[in-house]
Amino acid sequence: MSAMPSRDAGYLANSWLVAKREFGERVRGRLFFVSTALLAVLAVAVALTPVLVKMIDRGTTTTIAVSSADDELTLTSIRILDQFLNPSDLKGQPPPFTFVPAGTGDDVAQGVLDLRYAGALLAERQANGQVQFQLLIGESLPAERVTQINIGILAIAIFDFVAQNPLGEGFQVPTFDSAQVGASGGGAAAAVAPSEYAGRRIVGVVFVVLIFITLVIYGMWVAAGVVAEKTSRVMELLISAASPAELVTGKVIGIGLAGFVQYVAILLPALATLLLQDRIAIALLGSSSGLDVSLGALSPGLLVAYGSFWVLGFVLYALIYAAAGSLVSRAEDLQVLALPLSLIAIIGYIQAVMALTGGIGPLVRFASYVPFWSPFVMLTRLTVGRVEPWELALSFGLLIATIPIVAVIAIRVYSAGVLLYGQRPGARQIVGAIIRPPA
Amino acid sequence: MIFRNCDRDHRLTDPAGTPGYAPACMSLAIHGLVKRFGPVTALAGLELEVPEAHVFGFLGSNGAGKTTTMRISLGVLRADSGEIRWRGADHRTLPRQTWGYLPEERGLYPKMTVLDQLVFFAGLQGVPADVAAREARSWLARFRVPEFADRRAEELSKGNQQKVQFLAAVMHDPEVLLMDEPFTGLDPVNIVLLREAILDLRDRGKTIVLSTHQMETVEAMCESVAIVDHGRTVVAGTLRDVKRSTGRRMVLLSARGDHRLEWLAGIPGARLLRPGIERAEIELEPDVEPDAVLAAALAAGARVTHFEVADPSLEQVFIEHVGHPADIDPDAEASAGTPTSGRGRRAAGRPAASDTEAVA
Repeated sequence: MSAMPSRDAGYLANSWLVAKREFGERVRGRLFFVSTALLAVLAVAVALTPVLVKMIDRGTTTTIAVSSADDELTLTSIRILDQFLNPSDLKGQPPPFTFVPAGTGDDVAQGVLDLRYAGALLAERQANGQVQFQLLIGESLPAERVTQINIGILAIAIFDFVAQNPLGEGFQVPTFDSAQVGASGGGAAAAVAPSEYAGRRIVGVVFVVLIFITLVIYGMWVAAGVVAEKTSRVMELLISAASPAELVTGKVIGIGLAGFVQYVAILLPALATLLLQDRIAIALLGSSSGLDVSLGALSPGLLVAYGSFWVLGFVLYALIYAAAGSLVSRAEDLQVLALPLSLIAIIGYIQAVMALTGGIGPLVRFASYVPFWSPFVMLTRLTVGRVEPWELALSFGLLIATIPIVAVIAIRVYSAGVLLYGQRPGARQIVGAIIRPPA
Repeated sequence: MIFRNCDRDHRLTDPAGTPGYAPACMSLAIHGLVKRFGPVTALAGLELEVPEAHVFGFLGSNGAGKTTTMRISLGVLRADSGEIRWRGADHRTLPRQTWGYLPEERGLYPKMTVLDQLVFFAGLQGVPADVAAREARSWLARFRVPEFADRRAEELSKGNQQKVQFLAAVMHDPEVLLMDEPFTGLDPVNIVLLREAILDLRDRGKTIVLSTHQMETVEAMCESVAIVDHGRTVVAGTLRDVKRSTGRRMVLLSARGDHRLEWLAGIPGARLLRPGIERAEIELEPDVEPDAVLAAALAAGARVTHFEVADPSLEQVFIEHVGHPADIDPDAEASAGTPTSGRGRRAAGRPAASDTEAVA
């Protein structure tokens, strides 16, 4: 027990010590392995969704109404679509499509709304002889079948050109439009996506689901870690040995690294599944049916953006969760806080899902700049939409600028919260601690 | 202030010696410390002066402000006003390693091994891991539990966890050790071990502030004490000065064949505090001379076999100043509808055997 000269432990050194302890404690725990395995299975399942949907979809028939003022055009279109999209040898299976002639456009739109038709193809001959098509897409019409109908429409146009052969006019690709017809009858029009839209959407879904789940889970790890230190009363020893800033920083880094390790363990099989999706589809379905388009969505730039949003998003949410964890003394109380805490992320998640399914509206565009939501929404926009460089810079800039502000607030709340036992501070106390830190 | 004189080793000498204040000896000085938590005033101008290399008893009932004072010293809380200085330097400018802290509410990481925890906590205070591991094993051996090094904290009894917590507080060799109820929950053997360790630290020049409700421990270990109540210092000084601060004296008397001491009724200001066949304890008001008791006993024909003048026990002094025993929370009692007994409860506690002026 000789006297030991202590060197002055600095902010970084102490933060790193705390981080190492947090990392080791989590990664060595059995729970870590179990949750990693479960999340990996979930991620692979999400990545396999298109193949699974296709497998389920294989035995179903999609009914499409075909409507035109020109009855001949209607019948010709049905014949060509049937010939191109329904295999001649069905091997006892029902045909993928049934095309039925329909009356006016209003009727078929109602038919799509009433789910009598999965979709409707409206054909109209222009004054110059060119045929214009509009596809009304019902709720039950899968994206992959929309792609197939597009091919059929192209075939109709070619055959129609050959049949009509208008003088002085070369073949023109038919103008094509589509409209999403929802159960609400909204019928909000959206431009048809390019060929890899479906693949991008799959990547978007996988990314958004993963980033949401992991941010909330790892955020809760941080909060639960703080609560555990309060419950075991080791906090009293800790707080006298290291500053709140060191403890919060170390906890966020340590748990963040543990989360990253788990994340890689989850993401790698999910990415491998996406990359091998066409082969899996061939093995299971006999053809890839265009599923290989998802490869194109996984650009290095998108992966870098994803990693950056994940890191920054985690830091932001972990700080909030650390502060929240300091305000309660028992794990049961943390459950009460879990929902309101998750709500912040859920709002961003919902916006991201809107972007994936309903297009990029002004609200989604705005949400993609808001720091608490941009890790979800901007990421989605990057995946399925078009983002200007300045928008991406603004989104990242606001997120990065917000982190130190939230850090200062979180550390002040943490400083006040960790010393409170058996009482939950009110809003006034929390605001008081933020304005005038306890130490 | 009662501290008056220090020797070369900063030990208090005769308090009745050279009058005057000796600031050089007051290495830990707390002046005018105020801290409010909303409407509650935890510290209302607390004053403390702790000589260096002393074991200092910091006494007060629950809610008196002891823990808040310690937390402010450590920089965990900020005072509303007042100052804390160690060797003349503002405590906010001191490195954290200056302090060692054993909190009253303490715990360990349940899943970590004892050695890992000690190395971790020492690491936070800047001690390299290899040095910390060596020191940890050395301390564990001293506490006769070297086998604990590789055990998880959750596998240890509460008392043994407490020893580990003490080690976590001292591993980095702090100059000042703040200990909040360090003996609570320990068995007698471990209390002795801990006492020895604390006194050893004192001998190595460490300043130890000991907050406890165990008055006998304070009397056995502390050279100086302070009693605080409602955030103020009620009395402070050397143990002997504090014990004499009420002006009351005690007489321990044995009279063969007479344990009723009915003749005591003839002495105003003398009260039989605790009758006994072997020895009776008599409390004297400040204006009553002990000689009067002896004279009255002899005049009544009592066969006095033992007559001893003693200071009151620290617990009696505490009750005299604060109005209730240290382990009673007056606010909790009041809220529970139990009237506090105040000075009427001063019968608790025995006079100290030390600091006596005995007449055989």
